[in-house]
Amino acid sequence: MLKLLAAGLIASAAIVGTAGIAAADPVTITFRFNDTEQEVRGAIDEFQKQNPDIKVELQRIGWKDARNQFLREAAVGQGPDVAHVAQVWVTEMGDAGATLALDDFLQKDPPPNGFADFAAQDLAHGKDGKIYGLPWTTDTWAMVYRTDLLKEAGIDSLPTTWEDMRKDSEAVYKKTGKAGFGFPAGSSASGAMWFLANFYWWSEGKALIVQKQDGSYALGLEPADVVAAMNYYKQYMDGGDNPQSNLAASDAHDPAIMQALVSGNQAMGAMPPNTYKEILKAYADANPGKEPPFASGPFPHQPDTKSSMIGGRMLVINANTKHPDEAWKFVKYMASQGVFANFYRTQFPAQNSLLKQIDFGAPLKGFAEQFPFARTWGAYASGPVPIGTLWNATQRAFGKALSGQVSTEDAAKELLAEIGKQMP
Amino acid sequence: MRDRLFITTMLLPSMVLLVLFYGYPIFDNLRISFTDLSLLGMKKGGNWVGLANYRELFHSGEFNHILFNTFIWLTATSVVLRLLFGLGIALLLNTRAMRVLRLAAVSRFALLIPWATPPIVAVVIWRFLLERNGFVNDALIGLGLISQPIAFLADIRTVWPSIVLIMLWNTVPLIALSLLSSLQTVPEEYYEAAELDGATSWQTFRFVTLPFLMPAILVLGLMSVFWSFNNFVYVWLATGAGPGTFTNVLATEVYLKAFVDFRLGYSSAIGMVMAVVMGAFGILYLRLVAQRQLEETL
Repeated sequence: MLKLLAAGLIASAAIVGTAGIAAADPVTITFRFNDTEQEVRGAIDEFQKQNPDIKVELQRIGWKDARNQFLREAAVGQGPDVAHVAQVWVTEMGDAGATLALDDFLQKDPPPNGFADFAAQDLAHGKDGKIYGLPWTTDTWAMVYRTDLLKEAGIDSLPTTWEDMRKDSEAVYKKTGKAGFGFPAGSSASGAMWFLANFYWWSEGKALIVQKQDGSYALGLEPADVVAAMNYYKQYMDGGDNPQSNLAASDAHDPAIMQALVSGNQAMGAMPPNTYKEILKAYADANPGKEPPFASGPFPHQPDTKSSMIGGRMLVINANTKHPDEAWKFVKYMASQGVFANFYRTQFPAQNSLLKQIDFGAPLKGFAEQFPFARTWGAYASGPVPIGTLWNATQRAFGKALSGQVSTEDAAKELLAEIGKQMP
Repeated sequence: MRDRLFITTMLLPSMVLLVLFYGYPIFDNLRISFTDLSLLGMKKGGNWVGLANYRELFHSGEFNHILFNTFIWLTATSVVLRLLFGLGIALLLNTRAMRVLRLAAVSRFALLIPWATPPIVAVVIWRFLLERNGFVNDALIGLGLISQPIAFLADIRTVWPSIVLIMLWNTVPLIALSLLSSLQTVPEEYYEAAELDGATSWQTFRFVTLPFLMPAILVLGLMSVFWSFNNFVYVWLATGAGPGTFTNVLATEVYLKAFVDFRLGYSSAIGMVMAVVMGAFGILYLRLVAQRQLEETL
């Protein structure tokens, strides 16, 4: 009997002991990040050190598949606890029920300067008015120039109009034999022509999607506006100053374009700051001690128009998460000053108070000048047609026109008809 | 009667598996094709729209262009060239000269390399080879054949031939090796008899070799049609269906509509059209190949 009692006590102690260990096990949350691991690894390690009760498992996926994958998983109760998403996806993800509303967290446990401190707040809201994402990083696109090639072509100042930009590009090509404005003219569903087309329209005070005073949405362009943008970019292809092979490039960070800028085979490019930083670094590595012959400048615009976008990323919490408090703790930490100061230095923070502290320096001067003339996607993101559809249709239409598949007039008509068909 | 019952009983597990893993998804896809289900609305489901997706598809300005690309470039051109090149290589490897020079084994091994290369890797390799500063442009410029690099995968004059070239590189070896096996089953006496009768090389090939190869060519041809018609990887990875929509095919259109435009209902309708076409080829396959095999077995 005594033996039985002793065995019972030992078994009970073992169970209690195991339960004690289980209680001490950290909660594991998954974070899906779409850029390189080294950009956030240090920040995650530091978070785990500060919060030994939370373990963060890093998952990585490419930007091209990130949105679809998350939506598919969230629809069936799966997916990471925290996800890295483009600002323009947040409204539709919130409306799809894929992400958690953050309003309660922001009220009970807000970031140091509150939600009002964040840029692109309009894009963080769902159509129900709730907040579904915390703006994390922000950036804008600007023009980048090889000053040595411009000088060789007899150009001593950066262009401020679209016409001058074209003339400079042509001059570089004719006088140096190098590419002028080499932009990625490919038609991939998430390519860069989308940005360049919109920058052109915005600089003219127009937009593909506009919200009317009564709150409804409409197409903001006439076929002639689309044709003008297509003809503008097509002349670079026809003139040869943007090589035909760039019809196969769709991204600003396409290796062919980056390499051409680094090696001095191309004079002008359009890109976000992290791509420009990579180019500067590659140049410095290849030419140690040499002053980089680069300058940045804003896209042409009028005094009262915009010519680039305030882009960036947000962090969202999956509606299916079993650890919402831990997920919020992590999201708040990742948006903190310490992370941007010590670890995540490739991007700019989305908080205005942190953004003001940044010294852009001479090479990034053009990006700083572009910010006041940049806009959010606004009606594009909150409108009735998914932004991916607008993006893809625009890419395809420009691809058809720039490759000579159809005339710019036909491509423009097709684009507006395609989008118009999906407007209510 | 008892035999029939026995056969039915034995086939039942396979039938159940087929219904579960093929029948159910097909019928569910058919159901979705009659709705406006969106990737953003998966939680609440789609609304019934009847034949609207099919009507839109058949009236779409792009549909004929996509069908042309799928049938003519992706399927017909690639299958015919695959068979021709495969046959040519098989005949070459089967020559006496190759055996005498002890090149047959080496060549067979060399053929295995492209065949064993996964399509994704094959496309990536060829993208490097065909790019502006790639080997192909460098070689053509070096030989003085061109003065400026060609944008092989972006120029509408070269993009389809380039895609077909990638497909051929990756898939011809299987055809060649299969046909080589068939060639080696042709009895030597037939060739000797043809020689005694004074047949020319062409006559020997036409009346001795080809009849022996025809069953294999038929099977490989039909299988190639299945592999090509449904193929997504070569076009998507090589060109992303571009420039513009120049190389868009049914499989890439399914992806674009489902995962770029989020229109799962419409995308399912395209999938059903593909299934019907494949079904027609399936019937052809059954008639021409499977039925013959069954008769031979019985």
